[in-house]
Amino acid sequence: MYALVDCNNFFVSCERVFRPDLDGKPVVVLSNNDGCVVSRSNESKAMGIKMGAPFFQIKHLVDQGQLHAFSSNYALYGDLSSRVMSILSDTVPHIEIYSIDEAFLHLDGVEPGEMLQLCLDLVSKVRQWVGVPVSIGVAPTKTLAKLASHFAKTYKGYKGVCMMDDDCKRVKALGMSPIGEVWGVGRRLVPKMQGWGVVTALDFAQRPREWVAANLGVNGLKIWEELNGNACVAEEKEERRKSICTSRSFADMIEDVQELALRVSDFAALCASKLRKEKSAAHDVTVFMYTNRFRDDLKQYFPSATMRLDVAANSTQEIVGTAMKCLRTIYRAGYQYKKAGVTVSNIVPADEIQCTIFGFDEELRSRHDRLSAVMDAVNGQAGSSMLRLASQRPGHFADGIRSDFHSRLYTTSLDEIIEVR
Amino acid sequence: MDDVKCGMAQSGIHAGFPSPATDYMTQAIDLNKELVRHPAATFYGRVVGDSMIDAGVDEGDILVIDKSLEPQDGDMAVCFVDGEFTLKYLRFHPGGLTLQPANDRYPSIRIDEDTDFKVWGIVTYVIKNVRTR
Repeated sequence: MYALVDCNNFFVSCERVFRPDLDGKPVVVLSNNDGCVVSRSNESKAMGIKMGAPFFQIKHLVDQGQLHAFSSNYALYGDLSSRVMSILSDTVPHIEIYSIDEAFLHLDGVEPGEMLQLCLDLVSKVRQWVGVPVSIGVAPTKTLAKLASHFAKTYKGYKGVCMMDDDCKRVKALGMSPIGEVWGVGRRLVPKMQGWGVVTALDFAQRPREWVAANLGVNGLKIWEELNGNACVAEEKEERRKSICTSRSFADMIEDVQELALRVSDFAALCASKLRKEKSAAHDVTVFMYTNRFRDDLKQYFPSATMRLDVAANSTQEIVGTAMKCLRTIYRAGYQYKKAGVTVSNIVPADEIQCTIFGFDEELRSRHDRLSAVMDAVNGQAGSSMLRLASQRPGHFADGIRSDFHSRLYTTSLDEIIEVR
Repeated sequence: MDDVKCGMAQSGIHAGFPSPATDYMTQAIDLNKELVRHPAATFYGRVVGDSMIDAGVDEGDILVIDKSLEPQDGDMAVCFVDGEFTLKYLRFHPGGLTLQPANDRYPSIRIDEDTDFKVWGIVTYVIKNVRTR
């Protein structure tokens, strides 16, 4: 059996740990640059605010005090996520971390009669220890466990845990689940399914195997098997490189921020093109810098900063832009920098980028992709970085980024911990 | 590859003498381990004001807060009352709970069912910089 542990409205819940006054109130978290909504409390969902809604459409609600908005604080979310994951893996030996707010637990070896209590205990432990609410769905396959976690989240009576542990429960749950809610059924597939008369997950699971194979191929069959209780989604093996790093020592030490920005842009652009070459995309961009540690007479500083992209990216624009934001947060004048570098990590296959969750700007992304392809082609022929972004030139660095509603780095910076009176 | 050379390297010749301390190697004291029993549940807070001054807790001190602990009578706790975090002793008594400061100039807060209140975490250690004051 599998258990899917899903943190409820995770980013909002993280903010509320340190702002208990916002419990029960409408809250949203915005994407990088305060562009659009990426996490909503139940109350803001009830107000009709949609996932991915542009901030300007709801800004008046914030101004009127009806809605509380936060800029995204990925350092905080990442830290609380790792706390949740460590509690899960202390309880169950085999867990698969699926995303920042989801993990599959392998319940092999747990007595069927003890599963419910184990999961209920986990829900209350994570709630007390970290302060975030989680929902757990238990079922014989990962796809069913995901569906079960939806029920655990939706119906208060479950107290956070929904067991889909017999066929009667499975059939009932599938009948109540629209086909679009099934893991792996993309947005584009939904109208097609409906055209075939497949409205619920049950409609699909009850189609003959041959029909599924003929109309939807191997991936469709996988979903069908999973919905019928036969586990076939394997653990994702990390075959790809975990991170890509580009760094250099400078011939002469650099203090000027414009000059540093130029170098860091180049490193970031190189990382982006390496990602594209191996058809990957990265979630995290890290910039680090070193002063010269062999020069005792100079002040020393070895900063680094990581930013998480809402959607994994490999375009030069996004990777370079994110690296520039990182640089901006760590750069301090008055130091002589000897080395700098960019690391992209949390790498996923480019064709598996999860985009429906955040409803991000597909049009903008595809423009970035096309431009990157042109850059690769030209730079490949010229043998160097002939085509560059404007930000790879000095002068661009001074542009500000928006994060007007940033909460504190409560868990990662001693200067920003909570104040207690 | 030169076979003879390989053989020599594998014979394990070491230059110099092994350190006499090798047999006594053990981990140095790690305050992270000593002061943080539950890393996943431990948070930090900064003291503002003097409401716990008679308990030796001064402005600027760092609180080690463990959210995993069940509140007990006499615990020093970070509570959330009326929109802010406050540091108080917990005093349980029949029929309720009182949040007690360690400073005569501050009133005790009696918690009843209507109070907007929660125990956020239990303070396990107070870290004080005694030098720059």
